Amino acid sequence: MSTNRWLATGNYFTSYRDEQRIFFTHLDRTIFTFFLSLLFVWPLLFAVSNKYMLVIDNILIAIVAIIGLNIVTGFAGLISIGHAAFVGIGAYTVASFSRTLGDSHVIITHAWPLMIILSGLMGAIFGAIVGLPAMRLKHLYLAIATLSFQMIFSWTINFLEFFNQGQTIPVSRVFWFTGKLDRDEHYLFWYYVLLVVVVLSGFMVRNLLRTRYGRCLSAVRDNDRAADAMGMHPGLTKVYAFGLAGFFAGMAGALHAYVYRGAGFESFTLHHSITYLAMAIVGGLGTLNGSFWGPAAIITLELQVETLAEHAGQIFPSSWNLATALKPFSFGLVIVLFLMFEPRGIANWWRIVRSYTKLWPFRY
Amino acid sequence: MSYFFQLVVSGIVVGSIYALAALGFVLIYKSSKVLNIAHGQIIAAGAFIAYALTGMAGIPIYLSFFLSMVITFFLAMSVERIFLRRLIGEPIISVIMVTIGLMSILDGLIFLTPFGSVNFSFPRFLPRTLISFGGVSISWTQLVGVIVTAVMIGGFSWFFKKSTVGISMRAVSDDQFASMSVGISVPRVFGLAWATAGLSAAAAGVIIGNITGLNFETLQAFGITVFPVVILGGLDSILGAVVAGIIMGIIQQFASGYLDGNWGLNGTAEVLPYIILLIILLFKPHGLFGIHEIERV
Repeated sequence: MSTNRWLATGNYFTSYRDEQRIFFTHLDRTIFTFFLSLLFVWPLLFAVSNKYMLVIDNILIAIVAIIGLNIVTGFAGLISIGHAAFVGIGAYTVASFSRTLGDSHVIITHAWPLMIILSGLMGAIFGAIVGLPAMRLKHLYLAIATLSFQMIFSWTINFLEFFNQGQTIPVSRVFWFTGKLDRDEHYLFWYYVLLVVVVLSGFMVRNLLRTRYGRCLSAVRDNDRAADAMGMHPGLTKVYAFGLAGFFAGMAGALHAYVYRGAGFESFTLHHSITYLAMAIVGGLGTLNGSFWGPAAIITLELQVETLAEHAGQIFPSSWNLATALKPFSFGLVIVLFLMFEPRGIANWWRIVRSYTKLWPFRY
Repeated sequence: MSYFFQLVVSGIVVGSIYALAALGFVLIYKSSKVLNIAHGQIIAAGAFIAYALTGMAGIPIYLSFFLSMVITFFLAMSVERIFLRRLIGEPIISVIMVTIGLMSILDGLIFLTPFGSVNFSFPRFLPRTLISFGGVSISWTQLVGVIVTAVMIGGFSWFFKKSTVGISMRAVSDDQFASMSVGISVPRVFGLAWATAGLSAAAAGVIIGNITGLNFETLQAFGITVFPVVILGGLDSILGAVVAGIIMGIIQQFASGYLDGNWGLNGTAEVLPYIILLIILLFKPHGLFGIHEIERV
């Protein structure tokens, strides 16, 4: 814990315990704490309009979901084309409480942390059920299984009277110790809640990867037969990866329902599943900090594309459907380009920059 | 009873289109082990190219169908050349992701044209009268569609069984290294597989477009509905694609004919294939006719 890793020429671990630390040096911990407190303090220093706060909230929600997707697709190597459906399960857990008890029942407005965890558990249950074919099958077939779950979920939401046939089910604003949240405080409040959830989930996953269960995941991804021979159960490991992914997705869904004050069908379609995959790929599959870069990059891109489409729409004839066309096009292009030229995602750039600054002015 | 037979007949019509759509999917999977998630977009592109040629450029309708197949043949070939050739040997997960990306790109390109938002329909070139036979009726468009599908599937099976290119495709699907050692160019075979898949997709698109009209949502949905069909039939079997396509078509018609409106159900035809898919994956993952070479874990 004593050497400064930024000045040292290499890793000098003398025990496995050292290597498994979350923070290798005091400096690491200090820098981390500093940035974290910066994230908590900055909204108090600058007045941010609700519009931008919503965007930031969106990014944080997506980060929670992508942490889940990264467990199943990145660490365990199973493609999930139905992640939006798991997020939807979480949102509709809150929504079905609001549907049966009324949208401002005390459970929803006061016990919201409980609701978020409950939604996560629901997501985990559904994740494990969808992952059940993993007991017998490998990636290709699993990808199709998740896809079909996405289709079944969309149908269920759209056709059941209980879910208001896909129309928005309202969820009321929550209470804090100071009383019911104001309209202006809403997004700021959820920013802080989301920040706490993101930090906790980040630590959870970081810790998970240090344990036996986390190492199981990547062992099964790299070679399931070898993992089997080492005494792991590949099928169960996959089911459990799906369960964990479902847990994070469910929490993200509940947070989505609270931030948007309702759950509607149109936020959890196949298109969103593909967007989540794009975020995971762009961030870097199988890396924890990729889960933070990906959503930030894709949502910023989405905003930029929207502005671009608005400007371009004034130049080109209106029969050109630029606004709807540019979005999927840019997504697709970003996915394909990243896969072809930088399959390890933005996380890899971060790694390159880090090792460059570490060795500067020397290069290898 | 005639209601029952009517449902069976329209099930066969829908099912034969599924079979044709699944055929292109199976062709790609068989040779290169790639799940082409963008298949629905290629189907839509084929149909729209045919409409653009006949409705906008004024080329005779039969010629435009033929031309659209040729154009889609080269389109799919170039897609393989540009996007997938680089990924040979990469893990399967990135290849599937690329087809997902491709789906979004094609979506974007189609939304750029009027076809993304406006519905068109092919000019009618067949008699409008219905052919009735013992209480069961079928339109000329549907009948011709089924016949064309049958001919195309027959042609493709022959191509795979007898022609040199078809045999080399089968060889590649069996063992890439062994086929390289006997002088087959594996990348070329992949390109050809995509090209023939594009051709069959264009044919499927034209037939669907004639029966249901040119709506982007409907056309590209076939690319997703094709998954239950190929899983039921076995991912790498042409015969399986045909049989499963027809079974799935009939199941869908029965669902919308008998289930909808009872017990508060609605639109079951959309969801039933996926429920069947999940059940098949759990109990018989290699499908009806797929090779049993599934790797278990």
